[in-house]
Amino acid sequence: MTEITVLADHTATVSADLTGGRVLVLPGELPRVLGWTLKPEGLCRDDVCVPLWDRAAVQPGGDAGDRVDLLGVAAALGRPAALDEASATLAVGAPMELRRQALTGRTAPAFELPDLDGTLHALEAWQDRKKLLVAFASW
Amino acid sequence: MAIDDDPAVVRPFTDGITMPVLIDCEHLLTELYAISNVPTVVWIDEHGRIARPNGVAFGTDTFKDFTGVEAAPHFDAIRTWVRTGEVDIEVDDAEAAVGDLSEDELRARLLFRIGAHLRRTGDDAGAERNFATAVELAPHDWTIRRAAMPLRGMDPFGDPFFEMAVEWEAAGRPYHGIPAERTDG
Repeated sequence: MTEITVLADHTATVSADLTGGRVLVLPGELPRVLGWTLKPEGLCRDDVCVPLWDRAAVQPGGDAGDRVDLLGVAAALGRPAALDEASATLAVGAPMELRRQALTGRTAPAFELPDLDGTLHALEAWQDRKKLLVAFASW
Repeated sequence: MAIDDDPAVVRPFTDGITMPVLIDCEHLLTELYAISNVPTVVWIDEHGRIARPNGVAFGTDTFKDFTGVEAAPHFDAIRTWVRTGEVDIEVDDAEAAVGDLSEDELRARLLFRIGAHLRRTGDDAGAERNFATAVELAPHDWTIRRAAMPLRGMDPFGDPFFEMAVEWEAAGRPYHGIPAERTDG
């Protein structure tokens, strides 16, 4: 068992079994780590449930017991994931559907970021205005 | 939006700016909006619709001689858009103009995020391992390769930058968005 760090919508640490290239955690940890709950109907959050066409990818069973594979959960949620085993760090990206909506549906994906003083600002704060999103950098 | 790691480094660039300046340490926007270089400007209208997708535009003429791009045309286009709602370039197919991130470019962003996290926690070897792999996966992505330079102790205005620029030119100047040339109409 390894204490891993999950970088998703927020940062959390969780005890995981990394054997077999999987990231197996107790199902009870899912809400805290990724914000979703595993139910018979699938992965659920608030009123939304994502049905699992391949439940074994999420909950392999067998020697994994009732543990869930975070890599399988991420895939079921349509989110990319990358594991750096050496540092026991798992990064879970945004739902790929959001970027597709931006590219094909021209819907600007929502986000919330801090200003230079640390105060969070959400895109929707300016929803009734025309906006320029200007990405720049010190480099 | 500063695609940067440290507010203190960004602050000097914001002198005199009255618009909100946010910082994207985790490179969430480069993932959500498929941004691969700066400066990139996206026009979002009052209905949350992307009126004009990722494009290169400069706020000043500081680098005009290097880039061949003047700031004025874009400013004029923005003013027209604000007044009339008209966009200077009708990009019907934003997906074709911007292009979705490849699997490698996406994975590079995740590894960059891990690298940045490890650097903050003091695991420099771990940070370097992830930054290096991210750069291998997306060698022509400026938000990966050049953004990582100051975090890896490399000079983003020195040799590593010139090496990247040469490779990027040779690769055909890949960029997720409307290239600068098109602002001239």
